[in-house]
Amino acid sequence: MKKFVKFLAALAVVGLVVIGLIIFLPVSRTAPQTNVAGDYTTTNGHGEYAMRMGDCMACHTADGGKPFAGGRPIESPFGTIWSTNITPDPEHGIGNYSLDDFRASLYDGIEPDGTRLYPAMPYENYRKLSEEDIRAMYDYFMHDVEPVNEAPPKTDLGFPFNQRWGIRVWNWLALSDAGHEDLYDDTVLNRGAYLVDSLGHCAACHSPRSTIFAQAGKNAEDDRYLAGGVIAGWPAPSLHGPQSAPAKWSHDDLAAYLWTGRNSHSAVAGEMTQVVGDSLQYATDEDMNAIVTYLRHINGRGEDKTTLDASSSNEPTETEKLLASADPSMPLGARLYLDNCNACHFVNGKGAPEVFPSLDGNALVVADTAGGLLDVMLHGARMPSTEKRPARLAMPGFGDRLSDEEAAELATFVRQGWSNDANAVSAEDVAAARSKSSGTHH
Amino acid sequence: MSEENFKLSRRRFLQAGAVGTMLSAGYSASAIAQSDTPHLSDYQPEYFTAAEWDFIVAATDRLIPADGEGPGALDAHVPIFIDRQLVGSFGQAADWYMEGPHDPNAPAALGYQSPLTPAEAYRAGIAELNTWCKENHGAVFAELEKETKDAVLTSLEKGDIELADTKGANLFDLLLQNTKEGYFADPMYGGNHEMAAWNHIGFPGARASFREWVGIEKPYPLGPVDISGKRG
Repeated sequence: MKKFVKFLAALAVVGLVVIGLIIFLPVSRTAPQTNVAGDYTTTNGHGEYAMRMGDCMACHTADGGKPFAGGRPIESPFGTIWSTNITPDPEHGIGNYSLDDFRASLYDGIEPDGTRLYPAMPYENYRKLSEEDIRAMYDYFMHDVEPVNEAPPKTDLGFPFNQRWGIRVWNWLALSDAGHEDLYDDTVLNRGAYLVDSLGHCAACHSPRSTIFAQAGKNAEDDRYLAGGVIAGWPAPSLHGPQSAPAKWSHDDLAAYLWTGRNSHSAVAGEMTQVVGDSLQYATDEDMNAIVTYLRHINGRGEDKTTLDASSSNEPTETEKLLASADPSMPLGARLYLDNCNACHFVNGKGAPEVFPSLDGNALVVADTAGGLLDVMLHGARMPSTEKRPARLAMPGFGDRLSDEEAAELATFVRQGWSNDANAVSAEDVAAARSKSSGTHH
Repeated sequence: MSEENFKLSRRRFLQAGAVGTMLSAGYSASAIAQSDTPHLSDYQPEYFTAAEWDFIVAATDRLIPADGEGPGALDAHVPIFIDRQLVGSFGQAADWYMEGPHDPNAPAALGYQSPLTPAEAYRAGIAELNTWCKENHGAVFAELEKETKDAVLTSLEKGDIELADTKGANLFDLLLQNTKEGYFADPMYGGNHEMAAWNHIGFPGARASFREWVGIEKPYPLGPVDISGKRG
């Protein structure tokens, strides 16, 4: 017994020492990854463009709030994380940040006082930024952004997630080397990979998470890379694999989707609406070509630019025949489709290009996680306004028209109609989706 | 197409629609429209007094009687629709130009000419007509025989009974118009109870589109759906 107590005491001491080391071991910040001449100056507009491609705005601006003043709630599995003020205000913003401080927040997720940022800030991806982009963005935030002297709400997660020193251990395990390595013998593919992996931080949502919630798969050689994730109950579809949109859509369709939030197959909803509206619509022709070429290349579609669409046959499906019959004995799900959806999405489930997204083969409709589909059905959705396609085309919410049981029948019907083959949805799933306030459309 | 042919084919169309509706009612009776509006006899009018309510019930019952082809105005809760409209923006003429001059002899194209709101016109008109009925038939309208009620309404429509207190508003026109509206409007406004009128004429309701049926020479088989999503 005495031995056991001694053993416990020893264990406690070792534990304290380890924790002490984790907390007090001197913080090291990652150095610049490329040598940039001391008199380097950024070209006009570079910083703002890098900010756009990095989509700083989406998280660091609240609905109706001042640009970059923070205060947007970001749901995480561990609680709500509030985005920070990144205007050059010295008190509440980043006005006192040196270039090294700024780089450390992007590369290492560390504030100047040593406070560790939650990985909701995608420094897993931003640590691949080029020094040129970092300098340009630093320049932009310091000189072109209006300082806002406002403090956003403080993030207050429950124990143990409020012990931020623990993030250090996570960083040791999760982070890969800083800087971006060119893997291809092709400037377009290298540029595309850089934009996707660093500024675009696509993997922050579109990658599955490892057991320690790190982004799984560091590059295209890993099947898990960009193979789809779940964010706040919404599916972020796979961008890697035979069923993914980059594998199926034509070059131009993928570009149209990323630039305008709509194409001949689908339309954006959920978080991606902001990504298109705040970020991707600003991509230059060269950069969009690089992103699309890269995403199609990693799916073996580098050479041809056409559409591969399994559901493009003109033979009417059984689902289409059933709906077109308007047979009063049809199952409730089909009847609800005719009563609520058919006017826009039609009996063939294909909708209309750039206006009504196709439900047949739609990644959101057939996702393993039905939360996104249910959110759109119950609360509606609205496309972003972009310079190329200004109209904020919208779908109304049908939450008032459908009971939980009816919405479950209807969701199951569209998930299994036409060529779709996804699992059923329960009334409990619908109730959960209904009670969640939808923060994704604004 | 002669008028007679039209009527015949229309009736056939209605009958076919009714069959389709009955079929469609078969498969999920539990989810089919269960009205949450009170029964007509339990309804507490928000605008009408008890005497006015009696008149509205009696008059709409003669305009669309229950012994005709389809449901009557009372089956469809038309009086509830009218009562709710009169406490709403229509009854208060909330978005009408109501300043003078009011010229009862102005051409119809110049619009509503009474200084009274529709709610006020109903109130004044019902009181005056009930007085007329008492003087000429010994009882208020609601207590008259069916044939006498029809005669009074016919006289009112033709202008043989002239109401002065409505100050230019035409009670019969208002009543007939609002009765039709209450019969066919979406059930959310209190009338068209359980989509009875839509079922009767085979109107599919707020389904928005059935373009795959364009050109198909058969009645559309499914029963109606209302704005709230209920199936009739």
